[in-house]
Amino acid sequence: MENFEIDSKRIDQIEKITLEEKNFRIKNLELFKTAGFPNKKFEDWKFTDFRGIVDNNFKKLDTEKVTYDFKNKELLKNFDHNYIILVNGSLHSNNFDYEEKNKIKISSHDNNINYKLSENPLICLNHALAENGYFLEVEENYKFKKTLVIYNFFTNNIKDKILNNKNKIKIKKNSELHVIEYTINESKFKFINNVYEDLTLEKNSKLKSLYIQSKKSEGFFHKYSKSKLYDNSDYVNLIFSSGLRFNKLDIESDLIGENCSCNILSALFLNKNEHQEIKTRINHLVPDCKSYQRIKKVLDTESKGVFQGKVYVKDVAQKTDAYQLSKALLLHDDAEFNSKPELEIYADDVKCSHGSTSGTIDEDSLYYLMTRGLSRKESTKLLIKGFLNDVVNFIKNPKIKEFVENKLEEQINAH
Amino acid sequence: MKQQELEKSKEYKYGFTTDIESVRAPKGLNEDVIKFISNIKKEPEWMLKWRLKAFNRLKNLKEPNWQKPKYPKIDYQDLYYYSAPKSASDKPKNLNEVDPKLIETYKKLGIPLEEQKRLSGIAVDAVFDSVSVATTFKDELTKKGIIFCPISEAIRNHPELVKKYLGSVIPLTDHYFATLNSAVFTDGSFVYIPEGVRCPMELSTYFRINASETGQFERTLIIADKGSYVSYLEGCTAPMRDENQLHAANVELIALDDAEIKYSTVQNWYPGDKDGVGGIYNFVTKRGACRGKNSKISWTQVETGSAITWKYPSCILQGDNSVGEFYSIAITNNHQKADTGTKMIHLGKNTKSKIISKGISAGYADNTYRGLVDINKKASNARNYTQCDSLLMGNKCGAHTVPYIKNKNYSSIVEHEATTSKINEEQLYYCNQRGLNQEEAIGLIVNGFCKEVLQQLPMEFAVEAQKLVGISLEGSVG
Repeated sequence: MENFEIDSKRIDQIEKITLEEKNFRIKNLELFKTAGFPNKKFEDWKFTDFRGIVDNNFKKLDTEKVTYDFKNKELLKNFDHNYIILVNGSLHSNNFDYEEKNKIKISSHDNNINYKLSENPLICLNHALAENGYFLEVEENYKFKKTLVIYNFFTNNIKDKILNNKNKIKIKKNSELHVIEYTINESKFKFINNVYEDLTLEKNSKLKSLYIQSKKSEGFFHKYSKSKLYDNSDYVNLIFSSGLRFNKLDIESDLIGENCSCNILSALFLNKNEHQEIKTRINHLVPDCKSYQRIKKVLDTESKGVFQGKVYVKDVAQKTDAYQLSKALLLHDDAEFNSKPELEIYADDVKCSHGSTSGTIDEDSLYYLMTRGLSRKESTKLLIKGFLNDVVNFIKNPKIKEFVENKLEEQINAH
Repeated sequence: MKQQELEKSKEYKYGFTTDIESVRAPKGLNEDVIKFISNIKKEPEWMLKWRLKAFNRLKNLKEPNWQKPKYPKIDYQDLYYYSAPKSASDKPKNLNEVDPKLIETYKKLGIPLEEQKRLSGIAVDAVFDSVSVATTFKDELTKKGIIFCPISEAIRNHPELVKKYLGSVIPLTDHYFATLNSAVFTDGSFVYIPEGVRCPMELSTYFRINASETGQFERTLIIADKGSYVSYLEGCTAPMRDENQLHAANVELIALDDAEIKYSTVQNWYPGDKDGVGGIYNFVTKRGACRGKNSKISWTQVETGSAITWKYPSCILQGDNSVGEFYSIAITNNHQKADTGTKMIHLGKNTKSKIISKGISAGYADNTYRGLVDINKKASNARNYTQCDSLLMGNKCGAHTVPYIKNKNYSSIVEHEATTSKINEEQLYYCNQRGLNQEEAIGLIVNGFCKEVLQQLPMEFAVEAQKLVGISLEGSVG
């Protein structure tokens, strides 16, 4: 870590923290310093040498605050929505004009101590230094009328930085929220964004989140998302984050209440030099829960896709229904797909299965389309769309679906 | 009464341990012990050097610890690395001296009386031994030019072959247990099938003279020259009792152009008692190299014994169009633990591999499938199909699947699927209704579950293995 030196003085600069929090931060910083950036020796990073990536891409790195000049940017016009604007990770403004204001609480994220120590050095780093982000609370019995878009802006002067943010969403009983996390990166430079997300879904609540970006970006993104699901709650996570230079989503879901369901769905198209990694861990801790994972990736030249999925079923979690599928389509010789779909099961009356495939476009299908008068290129595109479409079809709102389809199309056309 | 029973089991357990009279290397692992082994085996200088090289390397290695089943620390200085085969006087005199449970299992498997004696280590009548099939077979093999002998004999008589191939698939420096084996292996089998020869029978350690007591560090080397074929059987369905707790064998297979090796294992070593006390640690390194074009290596294993089974029979598919196969049944009951699977490394063009793994856990057992499929950049048109199914009986046991899949070639296709479930209640009910009791019904259903693998076993094993599947699960349902 010659390019990244950090000491506890950085923690002193963080305002308004208790001694307890300070100690927690210092402890985590020590953990990070001992471990360094993760490399392949970490089981969770089996297929990715992040330390090597950092060394190759950054001559120096720091976590100093950035001053920025943020003027109101153009927002999405495709559909009506509420919004939160984050600039370089910190809460800038919000707008809930479509909703009952007393049902929603929003603030900058504060409390940073009630977290478990982690073996992932990047999470330690986040625990040590995170100071921005938001905390959104939805009160009981409230169903959002419109989708909430979280604009994640990165200003054009972000360079050689590690931004650590912590975001928290809590949905109380019988409430429902749909979120679109929309990343807009204006920086042409390389930087690392390291996010810790904390989600709580109380009884009978619903959360649907969708993750997408505006265009190609040089940023390196790592997000650890921890969700807790109580009785009858329903969590859907849709991932369409194509176009990022490096992106790792580490999703851990604890199914704590009976009859809850957890769905992780992803359709990605990776262009040249892009790296996308999805790691999941679904902990079935009580009976009668459902989890469903469907990850689809199309990989072009020199791109790399990784899927590490784990389903853990505790001995009491009978009648669990868990499904996990990862499929990859390799379009070029230099593309690489690695997967590790894992099952760890201690209960016998369960239905657990997983599948993982990778291969190229079927020549017979191509031939069929070409006999119908399409060019080879058009046929390929059509097959790719067909391959990714079964995930896109999970989006119910037609306007949002169209928006996502267009974004995917932009990616595919760049091929 | 209970006390008596205890005495009895003790008697059996220690019935095998030799007295001080037998030739034994002193306890511990050091250069002198290695020299002692090499000397007693009358090995040439180069072999001793090879062993010492491995030993030096071992000093810098650490035991791997990533596996799922954990075990108490092994004190390598507290083990005997060599002890000569026991003399007749040490062995049980007749079947009455053998553990009645063992005899019962033999009967269930349908093993003939004479074989029962042989298996339980009774000094077999010399007449029976001399007319044994083994000798007749040996003549036939010699005629075809097949070399089938203990590896220590091969080191003396066929040094050019051993030098060329030993350690070429599992390098000296591979990992802790493999390197330990390279330093201290005592014996094992050596097979060489000459060019164009199809071995007329299944070769088995069982037929090899002096095959018993190869010790805990066995080394097997099988070379199939161009266009040849051999089927090799390891172990046997009958329960094998052994006083060595640690077994770290190395098996190397080499298939040249158009050659095929079929390697079948039935492992039924002592799994420890119902509470998980005792039992063998089976830490084996098995690896085959498909060096030549169109070559094929097929591993089939039925793992029912041992307290801990930890092995990954692998194929390195170097030759173009080569094929690797892995068929496995791992049954764990009581406190047994298995962490097994395979590695298929695709290097050549048009290489194919197929993995079928069936894991069954009952009682408090843990069963893990861990495998790697690695398609290299140059392995165009490679193809892999993996299927691992697990069956759970009870909620105290565990079934895990940990596959690693790497695909770096766009023209290749990799497929993996896995399921975990319990025995279907309806099927059980149906069997019960037809007059089968619970245990028979489970035996039948499990056999059906394992069918794809059982079919791969050679005739010699197939029938007994089916019975074994049922027997291994006895008492798992209650």
